Amino acid sequence: MADWHRLYEIRCPVHGFITLNDWEWEIISHPAFQRLRRIRQLGWTDLVYPGATHTRFEHSLGVMHVATLMYEAVAQRSFEVLKSELAYTREGLDRHKTLVRLTALLHDVGHGPFSHAAEELLPTCEGGATRFQHEDYSAAIIRHQLREVIEDHPLNRNYDFRVEDITSLLEGSSQAKHALFWRELIAGQMDADRLDYLLRDSLHIGVDYGRFDWRRLLHTIEVVPGADGEAPRLGVNEGGCHAAEALILARYFMFTQVYFHKTRVAYDYHLREALAELLSGRGFPKPDADGIKDYLSWDDWRVLGLLADGRGGEHGRRLAQRDHFRLIYQTSETPTNEELAELDRVREILGNLILMEEYAEKSWYKPGSADIPVISRRGQLTKVKPLSEYSSVIAHLRPISKVMLYACREDREEINRKLTELHQRAGSEL
Amino acid sequence: MNPQEDLWRHLALITAMVERAPAKTLGRTAIVKMAYLLQTVKGIPLGYDFRLYIYGPYDANVLYHLACAEALGAVKILPVPYPGGYGFEVRPGPEASAIQARAEDWLAQHQSAVDWVIREFGAFSAAELELLSTIIYVDREFARENRKVKWEELARRVRDVKPHFSELSVIDKTKLLLDKNLLISINNF
Repeated sequence: MADWHRLYEIRCPVHGFITLNDWEWEIISHPAFQRLRRIRQLGWTDLVYPGATHTRFEHSLGVMHVATLMYEAVAQRSFEVLKSELAYTREGLDRHKTLVRLTALLHDVGHGPFSHAAEELLPTCEGGATRFQHEDYSAAIIRHQLREVIEDHPLNRNYDFRVEDITSLLEGSSQAKHALFWRELIAGQMDADRLDYLLRDSLHIGVDYGRFDWRRLLHTIEVVPGADGEAPRLGVNEGGCHAAEALILARYFMFTQVYFHKTRVAYDYHLREALAELLSGRGFPKPDADGIKDYLSWDDWRVLGLLADGRGGEHGRRLAQRDHFRLIYQTSETPTNEELAELDRVREILGNLILMEEYAEKSWYKPGSADIPVISRRGQLTKVKPLSEYSSVIAHLRPISKVMLYACREDREEINRKLTELHQRAGSEL
Repeated sequence: MNPQEDLWRHLALITAMVERAPAKTLGRTAIVKMAYLLQTVKGIPLGYDFRLYIYGPYDANVLYHLACAEALGAVKILPVPYPGGYGFEVRPGPEASAIQARAEDWLAQHQSAVDWVIREFGAFSAAELELLSTIIYVDREFARENRKVKWEELARRVRDVKPHFSELSVIDKTKLLLDKNLLISINNF
């Protein structure tokens, strides 16, 4: 007889053991989920940081684990608020814990080859104003490939979940009803995804920038009432201020030192161009029932095989031979109006020698500017203030909008000469 | 389009909204929700990917653009106390005109839409904008599914997401948007 109540443990380099039940085990055993073993978390970052070979598979397990711990902490600490503001009962909270676990587990199942690097090749939505995101592919895979393994497992008789319960939370749809409150744990300023990837990427890469006291966050996270009639939010109490501050700084350091590293950014560009060539300029298929089958056939292995066969054009060659474009000019992290004016002059003088421009704004990992609400209590008096009111470091953190220009290695001498001329001219004008 | 030009457009739009607001102040929530209305109702191609949260449609990129506008002096963001805590007030900065000039032609094309959003929504509180934009978000969800619904069903769905609002206030705001002809999935009334 099948043992539906068996628990499985998987060893995780960040969190120790991660426990899954039989239902979750069946889900991760599905080929659509196993594919994540063949999707690297950080694309070609290992060419800069050799340890960055970890995959979306272990990250997805980690997010489920962290989301569960965060959920339990909030449900325990803020039960009275959840009861009064969102009509939760203990049973309702237990049910939604399972929903949050499944959503967290599956949030990245729709990533394309080499993760974010592939996203600019996703098609545009109806109307053409926005591009589909990997979350839309995750939702489509859940709907069209994972329905049976999710809805038909005997443990689901306790919950009666439909896949739409998961996709609506993942996509941000009103069908999630009041469970939508937990979307902040999946995609928010202090979400389980962010907590896990900062810790995991730091560990694998071998840097300490992304480390912060996440256990302290777990001990201080709670539901914070909205300002002046606005919706309640996830925040921290005063005791969590420095842990929240460290989380934001960890993102800042990881962005500047790793995610927006000059060479890593160049490889992302070459990969995008090579992938475009491999897809014959068509881009990835749309996230519908037919398109998703084709989409799932794309993973790192397939791309690497094609590149090894000499496909992928000029950029495929550059990837294979580590002949990446070189950084020739960059602004500061937050350029002033004067710097932007100089950037225009550099563009003008270098013209076609510039082969690639990268903008922090377009990066998937850019640090946002949203604040974390902090609740303080003095007797019966409670007050909610943004973290930036407590922390002068956070208050003075500016958005990163750096611009980087790249060119061929062979052109660097000519470029340096032109830039020197430009600076000399600017100097003499002063 | 050059991403730099794209950035100027976003910064110019935010600055224009702040400058045209009554008393020249808007909160951060108001800016996010107005950007949503401009993209969704007026069709300005801002490229934001708004998703629904319990606090309404949201895309962190709007606040990123607001922070960039502040860094370049186009706006000033000031903390303001309210009875239970602190919020933020956004005012035009010393570079407001210069930043708008960077995307002058594009802004001129959308001038009437910016005037519209400020005229129609500029007087609402952040909580009201949260509710109004959620109603429009849910309405567009029904429309995407090619569903025509009664306004009561729309209000019920909104209330499911936002139980912290009273039934009366959800109904009141749904009717207000109906009166303004901004709901496209309703088949009664």
